[in-house]
Amino acid sequence: MATLSILCGYLICGFVGLLGLAVLWRIFDGTIDLSRLISEPTGDASMSRFQFLIFTFVIALSLFLVIVAGKNTDCKICKPALPDSIPTGILSLLGISGSSYLVSKGIQYSDPSGVADRPVTVTIMPSTVLVRYSQSQQFQAEVTRKPDSKVQWAVVAGPGSIDAETGLYRAPAVAPTEPGPQVYATVKATCVEFPDATDLAVITLA
Amino acid sequence: MPDIAAIVAWEVKGFLFTLFAMVALKLLTGEINMGYLFYGRKNDTGQPIVGADGKMLGRKRQDTPYFSPERVQLLVFTLAAAFSYLTQVLNNAHPGTLPPVPDSWLAVLGGSNLVYLGGKAYSRLWPASPGAHEQETL
Repeated sequence: MATLSILCGYLICGFVGLLGLAVLWRIFDGTIDLSRLISEPTGDASMSRFQFLIFTFVIALSLFLVIVAGKNTDCKICKPALPDSIPTGILSLLGISGSSYLVSKGIQYSDPSGVADRPVTVTIMPSTVLVRYSQSQQFQAEVTRKPDSKVQWAVVAGPGSIDAETGLYRAPAVAPTEPGPQVYATVKATCVEFPDATDLAVITLA
Repeated sequence: MPDIAAIVAWEVKGFLFTLFAMVALKLLTGEINMGYLFYGRKNDTGQPIVGADGKMLGRKRQDTPYFSPERVQLLVFTLAAAFSYLTQVLNNAHPGTLPPVPDSWLAVLGGSNLVYLGGKAYSRLWPASPGAHEQETL
C-alpha cells in the first residue's frame, strides 16, 4: 500500500511538472497570449492590474520561500511546511490592492466611453518623405495596443519596391529622362494579425 | 530516489521563477502592452472641438489621454512595498513564517491607492470643459 502511495505521488509530481512545462512553453511560443495581460478592454495598460500582478508575484514567491524553508531552524534537512498563519498585513495588502482595482473598474465602467474597445492602429514613420532616385528609405511602423504584432509592407501606388518584412523602400534606379509631373509612391503597412489596421506613407521621388 | 517533497519544491521553484522571468522580459521588451500605463483619460468623448476662430471642427471620437502623476506615485510605492517585503522574507529571522507587513506600509499604500482613485474619479466623473483640447484628433 505504501509503495502504491509513493508511486501515485511520483506520478502526480510528473503530471503537475509536465502541466507546468506545457503552460510555460505555450507562453513562450505565443499560444498563450500575454500581450494584454495588464490591459483594459480599451487597450490601454492598467495601473491597477499591474499593481495586482506585482503583489501576486511577490506573495506567491514569499509563500513558496517560506514553505520550502520549513519550520525548524536547527534541522539539517527541513521538511517543507505551510506557515501556521498568514499575517493579517498580507491579507490587508491584497485587500487594498483588490479593492482599489474594483473601485477603479467601477469608476471606469460608470461611463460607456470608459470601456469602449479601441482598435489596434498602425502608424508609419515618417508619413511623408522625399527620396532620391536609386536611394533607399527605411520606414518604421508602430502598432499600438498590440506591440508584438508583425507588419507587412507593400508599395500600393507608384514606382519602387519595398521589403515586405523590414520596410526598406528602394526607389527606382533611373529617373525619367523627360521632365514631367512630380512622381509619388505610396507605401502601405498592414498589421498581420489585424488586417484592418493599416497606414499609408507618401514618398516624393526626386 | 529523490524525496517527493523535494521534487515538488523544484517544480514549483522552476515554474515560478521561469514564469516571473518570462513576464518580466515581456514587460521590458514591450511584448506585454504597457501603452498609456502612466496616462489617464478624460471623459470627453463626443464633446465639440472648437478651432481658434470659434468654429466647431468636429466632435471628439475618444477620450483624451493625459499624463497622470497619481499613477506614477502608485507604481513607485507599489514597487517599494514589494521590494521591501521580499527583502524581509529573504532575511527572515523565523523561517517557516511569513513576516508581518508593517502598518506604516499599509497606510502608505492605502493612501497611494486613494490618491490614484481620486485622480481617476476626478477625470472620469467631471468631464473636461468643451473646446479645451482642440489639438486632439477628430
